[in-house]
Amino acid sequence: MVVGFVRLKVRLTVNGLRGQPWRMALFVAGVLLGGSFAVAGYAIFAIPGLLDDAPIAGMLLTLGGTAIVLGWLFLPLVFFGVDESLDPARFALLPLSRSTLIRGMFVASLAGVPALATLLATTGMVGTAVRLGGFLAGTVELVGVVLGLLLCAALSRAVTSAFATALRSRRARDLATVLLAVVAGLLGPIQLLALAGAQHADWDRIAAVARLIAWTPLGAPYSMGLDVAADQVWAVPIKLAVVLATIGGLLWWWSATLERAMLGTASSSRSSSAVRRGTPVSQLLLPLLPTTRFGALASREARYWWRETRRRASLITFSVVGVFLPVVLAVTSGGASGMLVFVGALAAVGLANQFGYEGSAYAANVTAGVPGRVELHSRVAGYSLYVLPLLIAIAAVVGAVSGRQAAIPSLVGMLSAAYGTGLAVVLPISVRGAYALPDTSNPFALSAGSGLAKGLMSFGGLFAAIVGTIPMQVAAYLLGDVWLWIGLPVGVAYGTGAYVLGSRLAGDLLDLRMPELLAAVTPNR
Amino acid sequence: MSLRGLVKRFDRKIAVAGLDLDVPAGSFYGLLGPNGAGKTTTLSMAVGLLRPDAGRAMVLGYDVWTDPAAAKRLFGVLPDGVRMFDRLSGAELLAYHGLLRGMDAATVDQRSRELLDVLELGTANRTLVVDYSAGMKKKIGLACALLHGPRLLVLDEPFEAVDPVSAALIRDILQRYVTGGGTVVVSSHVMEVVERLCSHVAILADGAIRLQGTLASVRGERSLEDVFVQVVGGRTATGSELAWL
Repeated sequence: MVVGFVRLKVRLTVNGLRGQPWRMALFVAGVLLGGSFAVAGYAIFAIPGLLDDAPIAGMLLTLGGTAIVLGWLFLPLVFFGVDESLDPARFALLPLSRSTLIRGMFVASLAGVPALATLLATTGMVGTAVRLGGFLAGTVELVGVVLGLLLCAALSRAVTSAFATALRSRRARDLATVLLAVVAGLLGPIQLLALAGAQHADWDRIAAVARLIAWTPLGAPYSMGLDVAADQVWAVPIKLAVVLATIGGLLWWWSATLERAMLGTASSSRSSSAVRRGTPVSQLLLPLLPTTRFGALASREARYWWRETRRRASLITFSVVGVFLPVVLAVTSGGASGMLVFVGALAAVGLANQFGYEGSAYAANVTAGVPGRVELHSRVAGYSLYVLPLLIAIAAVVGAVSGRQAAIPSLVGMLSAAYGTGLAVVLPISVRGAYALPDTSNPFALSAGSGLAKGLMSFGGLFAAIVGTIPMQVAAYLLGDVWLWIGLPVGVAYGTGAYVLGSRLAGDLLDLRMPELLAAVTPNR
Repeated sequence: MSLRGLVKRFDRKIAVAGLDLDVPAGSFYGLLGPNGAGKTTTLSMAVGLLRPDAGRAMVLGYDVWTDPAAAKRLFGVLPDGVRMFDRLSGAELLAYHGLLRGMDAATVDQRSRELLDVLELGTANRTLVVDYSAGMKKKIGLACALLHGPRLLVLDEPFEAVDPVSAALIRDILQRYVTGGGTVVVSSHVMEVVERLCSHVAILADGAIRLQGTLASVRGERSLEDVFVQVVGGRTATGSELAWL
């Protein structure tokens, strides 16, 4: 039974690659990325064993393992999304017991590049344990490593599933927003702790923290073998119990939310038969927008960013990441202008698959023959209605928190430059590299293999945008106080220029490729 | 509308193989075919949604693929299996389509109200299109196709999943449209509908037109269903198979 799920997953992945060379290329790139992560991880985790240094092993294995678990938790939420090729709703009609379904989907979620890469990377810990404590320690560590992988997968599935269910109902939306903010806020203290530790080079304190974490589910699976090596065999059963209980709890949580996910959207109809005044045109258009094609497109786009769960989820995630990261950095190190470039580019990455969000509905624009540039300008305008105020707010908050109020205009300039450059890179990507999203209501769901596409496109866009703003950063560094005065106009001009170039290129590309783009974003039925 | 030598390949499968079709102006044209015959593929290529591998599609004298802007102004489309911008309310969706077609706001408002009223979708209803029933979705899709007053309507499966009351309403509207000088192309696999509505019929199977002409000339003395099954080459149950039923 369980094997059937794994075979289904593999078959879906293979079929998804068939006949699409660029997907194949993406998949290969993903495998290479996963492979290099695995090799690097293996080397790092094996080093303490080669050095024969037990204290370093205690810190590195525990904290490194914790980082991996946290990575499994956050990366799907922020960057990659979840591979929902095995959508639970599709199994709703089959005579499967819930435990079979959970077991099958859980094991199937292990059949993927990330899981294999994690497993390979963490086996470096087994090498260390063998060197330090002999064969028995190695065996125990191996058990721990495997359990750690199970923990990672269970955590990631449970949290994303719960999150998706929560975001689906409109009433729980606000709660979910707060929850996400809190979760992201937890990054702050952890960073502070790490930075403070690194600054003072207080190894004893880090070791103490590591010893503490080793007893939590985050570090327990990875520190078992070391306990054997340190003649603390009594700790192993306790840690085993901690980890197993956590995995069990997570799976139970997952199965509870899965039940609701299987019911699909049927229950989420809303009672919105309220009567609204005004003519159809005035209902559609946002105030101040012209009654033209551009106005209609931009208004529709702006309404979509709020009304569609997938877009709303990406908007909320961006807001939280965009506000918290620079603020935390500003608090801890006093300067965050480098991080601001990152945030501005990240804002633009939100449009990397803008055509995928609406899927085949784009056919309406194709039959109406909307020119490519109008299409792109209006989409950017609709998105910017949300993002630009947010970016200005981020600049203001960062300036205020770091105690350099005078720098706020130049920070806005830097953000605009990064946003404009990011758009210039991302718009052609959105035309050329669009991919279809599955027809589910899970805002994090991606079809098989496109998780990598999403991740690579986001990273590519980010990287290109950051490289593109290097002249701005150099200028800011060299000019000093003069920059405070000219930063805003120069940044806005730089961003606008880049945007105009990029949108022209992408618009012309779109004029040539409308039917192909429509085919690319239409989900296969 | 005139299609010449349209070809579309998906991977190795040939969906449409050199299709020729002439739709005379002012006709009510039915495109019949079994599932998977290439009806949707053909119509998508005819209206500029899917690029053909070979062939031409002319609409009222304009080539859809070399002069798309001029051609697209003249027809309205109701695609099948394609989502609409369904996070808008019905009125918002109509306003969106109207403005997208470059119409002025007053005309859009007036026509949208009229369409919503006639199609019984409610002029002040704020329900999003995503929460509409299947029949209501077809009706709002038809309204979007009609809004800019096209001279040719291309409707892919307009009666699928529509209840009899809505279907009758859609039929009346389409008949009035043809009487007023418009041309309609409908795809369907429901014989009764085609037999009652259409002046011309083409039967499509395996990506090629098997038979086309006026309804009378295609049907002859027999029922359209008999002709269809014979042309497509379907089998009839003899009773020996599925004995366990």
